[in-house]
Amino acid sequence: MIEDVYAIYLRELIRLWRQKVRLITTIMMPILWLGVIGSAFNNAFNFSGSSDFLSFLTPGILVMTMVFTATISGITTVFDREFGFLKEMLVAPIKRESILMGKMLGGVTQAILQGMIIIAIALLMGVKFSGISSIPGMFLTMVIVSIAFVSLGLMVASRLTSMEGFQMVMMFMIQPMIFLSGAFYPTSTLPSWLGYLVRINPLTYGVDAMRYFAIGYNEFNIALDFAVLIIFSIFLIIMGGYSFRHSK
Amino acid sequence: MKAIEIKNLTKKFDHLVAVDNVSLSIDYGEIFALLGPNGAGKTTIMNILSTLLEPTSGNARVNGYDVVEEASKVRESIGIVFQDPSLDDRLTARENLDIHGRLYHMGKEERAKRIDEVLEMVELKERKNDAVRTFSGGMKRRLEIARGLMHRPKVIFLDEPTLGLDPQTRRHIWDYIKKLREEGMTVMLTTHYMEEADELADRVAIIDKGKIVALGTPSSLKDSLGGDVIRIRCDRCKEMADILQKNGFNARIIDEEVILNVEGAEKVIPKIFSISKNIEIYSVMYKEPSLEDVFIKYTGKAYREESPDGMANIRIRLRR
Repeated sequence: MIEDVYAIYLRELIRLWRQKVRLITTIMMPILWLGVIGSAFNNAFNFSGSSDFLSFLTPGILVMTMVFTATISGITTVFDREFGFLKEMLVAPIKRESILMGKMLGGVTQAILQGMIIIAIALLMGVKFSGISSIPGMFLTMVIVSIAFVSLGLMVASRLTSMEGFQMVMMFMIQPMIFLSGAFYPTSTLPSWLGYLVRINPLTYGVDAMRYFAIGYNEFNIALDFAVLIIFSIFLIIMGGYSFRHSK
Repeated sequence: MKAIEIKNLTKKFDHLVAVDNVSLSIDYGEIFALLGPNGAGKTTIMNILSTLLEPTSGNARVNGYDVVEEASKVRESIGIVFQDPSLDDRLTARENLDIHGRLYHMGKEERAKRIDEVLEMVELKERKNDAVRTFSGGMKRRLEIARGLMHRPKVIFLDEPTLGLDPQTRRHIWDYIKKLREEGMTVMLTTHYMEEADELADRVAIIDKGKIVALGTPSSLKDSLGGDVIRIRCDRCKEMADILQKNGFNARIIDEEVILNVEGAEKVIPKIFSISKNIEIYSVMYKEPSLEDVFIKYTGKAYREESPDGMANIRIRLRR
């Protein structure tokens, strides 16, 4: 079982390594966010929190990037089907669960690598993290968030029969979730209709948890953050696993 | 125990009956071809035998294991080369084989040794560390065959192994398949190329609309048509026909040619020359019945073969 998962995971790692250039191109957007928006707004208004706007924004951008990467990575199962490799995995004497876990680990690895690159960039830009003590909490949040969204990607992938629906999913599902998550702004001062939307978005609690560990600023209870994140992840793992097993 | 045993196998897709009550058994060491036009149900049978599809009714055993009840045992003991490409083209040849070996629970040293063996066999050893996406279509197919053999399966399934390949590459692949026979492997292949089944298979099942319409060795199937056709052009046809009739041949004159149906034309022709006395023979032609004639006889329709470099190729390119 472990070896089977590892075989699938190993393939993901090799592919990831071959496409390392892509890893660098996809961090262009977060660099622009942090470098341009972060720096510009930093001076435009005096942020009411404990730290500057750039530091406030960084955990949000971190979560945003990982959500994108994790979802896309889950959706790449569509390619496996399109290019036939899924069949190779399906006729191998291994359980479907092993394929699923291997794919999931691959997506999580990619998302976390990306997250670490962003943290490095943020450090270079002078963002003040809470210190060494922030590492375990941030890492845990990163793992849970990426597991949830890889699963979401897998779920979407088993419904998609081609890559055409992919843009739709990113535009109509992932983008709204990110914009309504408080990744870019504090949620306490929102107009009530917007505040409501933000509060029912599970990703809001991921951003809040990340911010809590990264810079020691949060708007909700950290226990609530984790409760929502874990329930959300388990729900998506079950849905993703179910869709994957029943896809043809 | 038989390598493959199929009993009353039926597979329905909604209203379409893709496989219609097929029964079949294949011995170890046999090269068996399922021959039929596209959409005849060949690939569906293969997908059921390789546990990708479950039958609607009936059952099948491969290496003694039931394809539904003991799917994972079946998977361990078979190799499959799909009709459509299923390699990871970002990975190198070695990596594709290595991952395959891991999925089939082969040890590290065994994998390394076997990778060299199978690559040697399909003559790709020098491309071992090249990314598969730099390979030509024929090379990819060879690598897929190598991968199917990687874990030393007892039975290998080849679904249209030469579809869309040029004649030269096709020859190559036929040679590999013949090599498998020498190693005593059981091979089940599907094809819609008559000459492929004729060249490779010990036994052929002709399949049309989900049913097996004829089953036997290629030569017995052709013999069942009642022998060869000989056409003789000569200067005194009437006299020639008379002589042949007197010698017990059913000779007749059609379009100023003497035509006779015989068994084993190559033995009859010298006899014709020896009894024809002073009649001048301009030419003698004979035609062995092909599997195509067999197909026409059993299905009552002509066989339309897809041109190997026509649509099939386009389809493969679209998949890439």
